[in-house]
Amino acid sequence: MTDATAPLLELRDVSKSYGGVHALRNVDFAGRAGSIHAVLGENGAGKSTLMKIVSGVIRPDTGEMRLDGRPVAFASPREAVAAGVVCVFQELSLVPDLSVADNICITDPPRRFGLIDRRAQRRVAAALLDRVGCPGLDPRTRVKDLPLAQRQLVEIAKALGRNPRVLVVDEGASALSGAELARVFAVLREVRDGGALVIYISHRMNEIRELADRCSVFRNGRHVETFDAHTRGHDDIIRMMIGREMTGVFPAKPAAPRDYPPAIRVDHLSWDDRLRDIGFTIGKGEIVGLGGLDGQGQRELLLALFGVLRGVEGTVAIDGRPRRIDGPAAAKAPDIAMALIPEDRKTEGLVLAMSVADNIALSSLGGHGGGILIDRARLESDVESMVRSLQIKVGDVNRAVATLSGGNQQKVVLAKWLMTKPRILLLNDPTRGIDVGTKQEIYALLRRLADEGVAILLFSTDLAELIGCCDRVLVLYRGGIARELAGDDITEMNILGSAFDVALTGSPGPARAAGAEVRP
Amino acid sequence: MRNPLTALDKPALFAAGSILLILAVGSLYTLSTGGGLTMLSPAYLSQQLQIAAFLGLIAGGLMMVILLGHIDLSIPWTLTAAAMMATSVGGPAAVPVALAVGLAVGVVNGLGVAWLRVPSMIFTLGVNTVLQGLMVLHTGGHAPQSRSTGLMEFLATGHVLGLPMAALVWAAVSGLLVVLLTRTAMGRAVYAIGNRESAAYLSGIPTNRVIVGCFAICGACAALAGCLLAGYSTKAYQGMGNAYLLPGIAAVVIGGTHVLGGRGTYTGTVLGTILIVVLQSVLSVMQMPDAGRQIIYGLVIIAMLFAYGRDTGRAG
Repeated sequence: MTDATAPLLELRDVSKSYGGVHALRNVDFAGRAGSIHAVLGENGAGKSTLMKIVSGVIRPDTGEMRLDGRPVAFASPREAVAAGVVCVFQELSLVPDLSVADNICITDPPRRFGLIDRRAQRRVAAALLDRVGCPGLDPRTRVKDLPLAQRQLVEIAKALGRNPRVLVVDEGASALSGAELARVFAVLREVRDGGALVIYISHRMNEIRELADRCSVFRNGRHVETFDAHTRGHDDIIRMMIGREMTGVFPAKPAAPRDYPPAIRVDHLSWDDRLRDIGFTIGKGEIVGLGGLDGQGQRELLLALFGVLRGVEGTVAIDGRPRRIDGPAAAKAPDIAMALIPEDRKTEGLVLAMSVADNIALSSLGGHGGGILIDRARLESDVESMVRSLQIKVGDVNRAVATLSGGNQQKVVLAKWLMTKPRILLLNDPTRGIDVGTKQEIYALLRRLADEGVAILLFSTDLAELIGCCDRVLVLYRGGIARELAGDDITEMNILGSAFDVALTGSPGPARAAGAEVRP
Repeated sequence: MRNPLTALDKPALFAAGSILLILAVGSLYTLSTGGGLTMLSPAYLSQQLQIAAFLGLIAGGLMMVILLGHIDLSIPWTLTAAAMMATSVGGPAAVPVALAVGLAVGVVNGLGVAWLRVPSMIFTLGVNTVLQGLMVLHTGGHAPQSRSTGLMEFLATGHVLGLPMAALVWAAVSGLLVVLLTRTAMGRAVYAIGNRESAAYLSGIPTNRVIVGCFAICGACAALAGCLLAGYSTKAYQGMGNAYLLPGIAAVVIGGTHVLGGRGTYTGTVLGTILIVVLQSVLSVMQMPDAGRQIIYGLVIIAMLFAYGRDTGRAG
């Protein structure tokens, strides 16, 4: 591997935006044959968008891609595969109701007399499964009967079956550990030694340390730097991922940490294998953040508290009394008064086809005086005052909520729940895809609510938001609380360090993270 | 606030226009054959209103279920079972028994759809078949009383102040449904669930209770229609509900209610009902052979849906 080697895969000046949001901006990327190239960055840095372009799932707005020095433009994943670019995606591409063998050979099954030769297909599948370290797996098993770790192995076997020259593994080994992971690493090294380029995306720093030859760091849709692995330490890499762009958009926090009377106390909360033994309290008037990388159980935790998930273990006490919350209707009842701003405002937060007024009233119907009949005049004035106090920019509240901008839509969701006068407010990434001005208003609103005594649990994928808004931050890793940060300890280094499950120099090690690597 | 009653939307206007058109075509026909303007006579219109009431009751109940994005295919035998149980009990208890049967069937439908999460199309079809079997059993060993009571006959064929009693029953039920849909929390919840059940659920609406409630209303409406139909033909009999399922669904959908739920006005359903009744009547006045009548009937329904499928067919 010398610098004289021409890159196998090269992207020049590639940009991609979704409705005005830049996912990638003028990105250059080059990967050489015979290397394992790690791509790093925090959530939303543009890694997945880049890989979707490489594998033909989406097309870039501008810029070009070269394979072997020749310009290519894949119109579909099928063309990319034909050119030797194969992907193992985080969201598995297997068909659950087909057998392992059917899945592995799904695009090009061996044929005999025009029909699929099932025996040959099973042989091919068995050989590939053997290679990834699953020799015992019967190729006739249906994929839906396999645990996640084995599905990932099948997915990798499927990719190997296509003889890749560029193999992209996008979080494709996230459920693996121990011997399985070691076996996959060995396979990836084999693929590399066969002269292919392996692009490896993972949030686990120790894997990258072990596997990668080269690293590229991305931040906010831009390429930051590419360097040989082992030339930089963890601290350097994390600093590169964070960057520096903090401004005064956040309201002032209370000067000194106060003693908050507890509003909600959670003990030993577990669900499936996604949440493990979570315990914390939130005080009245306190904003607690939920941090960590995507998919470490933050969303599940919020849903579990709101009573949406079935089979949740553990206890939740509201104002000191243990309560069983079996759904949103129970959660919003006045004796609990909990509210959840859900993840996806278009499908979960709003009824898009209904009017702004109807949406704002949706959670508090029946709470506007009168008996069975809705008191229209009172409802109308309640809605009007909510529109004013949140400064929702809408000409006519009878217009469909779908016509509003994203920021104003999110304000409608907030207004809907503020109408119920919540004492506990859960928020699932409330500022995603919202303009800075509205974000600022929402931060100020949260602080105002906290000052009025509302207990707030805020999950955000935006680090700056956690740091700027929260009195305390719980960092989740693989369904458990890896670390709890308060006051001046809430820094990018500490949050990202615990999120990636590495102990950084100069900070106390994460107390419970060690156990988190163990598979269930 | 949007008021589904007063706001005549496009499909409703379209249906109203079509009713006038059909009456005009029918009148031209009667004029050309020397029958005069019989279609515009009060007697004819009052008779149409009476017949429309049976279908209108069914369509009104069905609309509640269709607004949720569900369907109730158990209408034919819910109606029949309610009428048969009513006549076999007889006396003053007949109508309450019928309503109780309808409510019970509706609650069973609702429980199956809301809690067991069986698709309503399958579940209600199954319930329909079970009811059919039960009614065969009921009439198997002996011959139960099938003669309708005096009250049922009065409700179906009586006149008050020159208006057909059936139409008054329809109007009363319609009034209740309009208030329910426009002025109560449940009405708002129905539209919200039909548009986006996940958002309604996460807003703290007791979605399952609303679903059961709507199916119960649908069952009760079908049962009431069963009472009236039995009164109209002076007896309850197997298969009396068979001719009402498709026209009922058609009336709701022609009236502008979105087949996948979430949108629709009660006015539209009333107009859709009248349109279907008038169409059937004009076709029979024109002495169209049965086969031709069915073809035209079906084509008109398809044409109407096609005509405004474009603006209501937005992916929701």
